[in-house]
Amino acid sequence: MSILLLVLALLPIVAGVLIRVLYVPATEGITVTGAHIFFTIDLPLGGLPITESQVNSWLVIISLFFFCLFLTYNLKTKNISTRQVIAEWIVESVDKLVKSNMGDFFMGFAPFITAILGISAMSSLMTLFGLFPATSDINVVAGWAILVFFLITYYKLKAGPFVYLKSFTEPIAVFAPINVASEFATPFSMSFRHYGNVLSGSIISILIATGLGGLSKFVLQWLPEPFSSFEIFRIGIPAIFSIYFDIFSGCLQAFIFAMLTMLYVSGGFPADEYFKRKAMKQAKKINN
Amino acid sequence: MLELAIGIMLGGCALGAGIAMIAGFGPGIGEGRAVAAACEAIGRQPEAQSAVTTTMLMGCAVAETTGLYSFVIAILLIFLAPGRFVEILKNAL
Amino acid sequence: MNELDVISVNIWQIIISLANLVILYLIFRKFLFKPVKEIVAKRNSEVMAEYDKATKATNEANELKASWEEKMQTADDKADEIIKNAIEKADHRSEVLLYESREKAESIIRKAKAEAERDKLDAQATIKQEIVGVSAAISEKIIGREINMEDHRDLIDSFIDNMGDE
Repeated sequence: MSILLLVLALLPIVAGVLIRVLYVPATEGITVTGAHIFFTIDLPLGGLPITESQVNSWLVIISLFFFCLFLTYNLKTKNISTRQVIAEWIVESVDKLVKSNMGDFFMGFAPFITAILGISAMSSLMTLFGLFPATSDINVVAGWAILVFFLITYYKLKAGPFVYLKSFTEPIAVFAPINVASEFATPFSMSFRHYGNVLSGSIISILIATGLGGLSKFVLQWLPEPFSSFEIFRIGIPAIFSIYFDIFSGCLQAFIFAMLTMLYVSGGFPADEYFKRKAMKQAKKINN
Repeated sequence: MLELAIGIMLGGCALGAGIAMIAGFGPGIGEGRAVAAACEAIGRQPEAQSAVTTTMLMGCAVAETTGLYSFVIAILLIFLAPGRFVEILKNAL
Repeated sequence: MNELDVISVNIWQIIISLANLVILYLIFRKFLFKPVKEIVAKRNSEVMAEYDKATKATNEANELKASWEEKMQTADDKADEIIKNAIEKADHRSEVLLYESREKAESIIRKAKAEAERDKLDAQATIKQEIVGVSAAISEKIIGREINMEDHRDLIDSFIDNMGDE
């Protein structure tokens, strides 16, 4: 049963590879393009193109869903299995991270932070299977950043609209336009940071692969035809660079996105005013 | 006339992209300083290594943002801008 | 053109990816955090119950140990008392025995003494008679006539008494 769930968790990745092989035409040379469009649904505001990045992020969600089921299948209190150890480790370490960065009030954010970490890291690591990384599509990352922006604003508004508006006039009223600009710059900087890192990594990977192909052609040009076009340097060497650009950079960007989410949300939350307001409300209730 | 205009435009785009990437200086220097300070901190307090490393990576990532802005601008100038500008030129001439 | 540009913003795609993240958040909350938290809480409660049980058992054992120690103490006291009593009894008995034996010994000695006295008196009496006989015979011989025993009895007796005393 647990093996079946693991297979179901791995199946979306296989499906992604199949979709890529079947429907996405291969590109030649140095071509930096966005995601492949499968088809477009007619909607106002430019229509909805169903692209590789959308499909890949759905596949990531399905994969993570089955992975969760796999981890939490048949939990026990004694004689725990390795799966359960991994599940408890994930939950406990994310809880610890959230607690140390956001405090006890935001403990409900732990699944959200796990979701950010999971979807971002998995999307970036899709490149290991030759798939299009969903995080190198600005729309995907912008969606997450806008959600984080909504969360920041929601928690800033928790202490009342007056406190929220007043926070823009700090340290002096003249700074208000700059504060407003920096408020709206947060989602932009978050999305561009993630997107730029992943995209730069994939562009450098393309450049390295193309350059190594040219180099092997140049070195092997004296051989007869089937061997001379064999790109010997493209075996293995790009993988060394992909350790940094795909694995390290992908995981690091996921971690940074999660850290910035935590810091922005808990940093923007006016805790003192909120608790003061709450106490006041309670006092009013008691008086009534 | 059109060819000349397109040539100038393409050259301008490539030059602009190159100039935009000069911004890579800033993050490079800043991150170098951050890493140097982190190394010093670890040397002084080796027991705080993990905390210092995490904070340093965070700071580096934030400092990298400006460089990534310039990178995005360069990408726009190389891959996106020429097509648009050629269309505009064709319509104009 | 079947591919997106490197940077192309589409509001629907942004909304879809936002919804994706929310869906993944709900998945993680429902299928990872809830069961794991539940099982951890359950295990914690079980562990606490075990601890309680262990503490209870230790307390019981301690109580038992204290009661046993008390019992041992009383037993020791009792044993001391018994020994003391026994010693006392034995002392008393031995004294009695000693006294009795001394008494017996004294009575034996007294008896022996009395016997010896009687023997001595008997011996004196016999000796006296013999002496009287002998002296009467000697006197008859010396004096040449018969001595009237009855007449001289007193005289002889006083003589012998003096002699025996000397």
